[in-house]
Amino acid sequence: MIDEILVMVGGAMVVVGVACDLIAAIGMLRLPNFFVRLHAATVGTIGGSFLPILGTGIMVLGTDFLAYKWLFFGGLVTTAILVLLVAPAGSHALARAAHRSKAAKVEPKLVDHLEEDGVGR
Amino acid sequence: MVMEEQINTFIMLLLPFYLTSFCLYFVRVLKGPTIPDIVLAIDALSFDIVAFIALLSVFFKSLVLVPVATLFALWVYSLDIFVAKYLEKKEMGD
Repeated sequence: MIDEILVMVGGAMVVVGVACDLIAAIGMLRLPNFFVRLHAATVGTIGGSFLPILGTGIMVLGTDFLAYKWLFFGGLVTTAILVLLVAPAGSHALARAAHRSKAAKVEPKLVDHLEEDGVGR
Repeated sequence: MVMEEQINTFIMLLLPFYLTSFCLYFVRVLKGPTIPDIVLAIDALSFDIVAFIALLSVFFKSLVLVPVATLFALWVYSLDIFVAKYLEKKEMGD
């Protein structure tokens, strides 16, 4: 009984993650500039990678055909927590560097307070 | 044995969605106008591949694939940090 519930909860998380992944890929292709595409990247990393890995870990706990299922669970949860910590840090560093070095232009823009305040250069 | 077949069928059903999103990310990698665009698309694509490897480790019942996913996530983080460092200071650090 509890095994089926674990598999269903994990499978639901994986399905939600795949939907987030597809939405993020479409957004990455359609959105206008780099700083707007960061939103799509957030959907793709947290919703599309953290959630399916955690869901796979929960799904593994309910299965009966894997030999070392607790080892699977530990490795997958570790990977999920690493992704949760590492993905925002990396994309934030990249966005800060891209704005300060003017590598990516803020092309359709209304206002840019960082540029007006003279932050960076 | 029933549960094994059900989970394998479930993973096989998810495969085309993953491949579609890989292709869409890869289009952005190929045509991204600036360097941060390309690196951001590689970032999102690689975290996507990490989730896919996690599913494949259940499909193939092999424990060896789990550390591969962990190290791949850390590799993408190091790529981000190196590119950010290079864009800001124009040098890779001594």
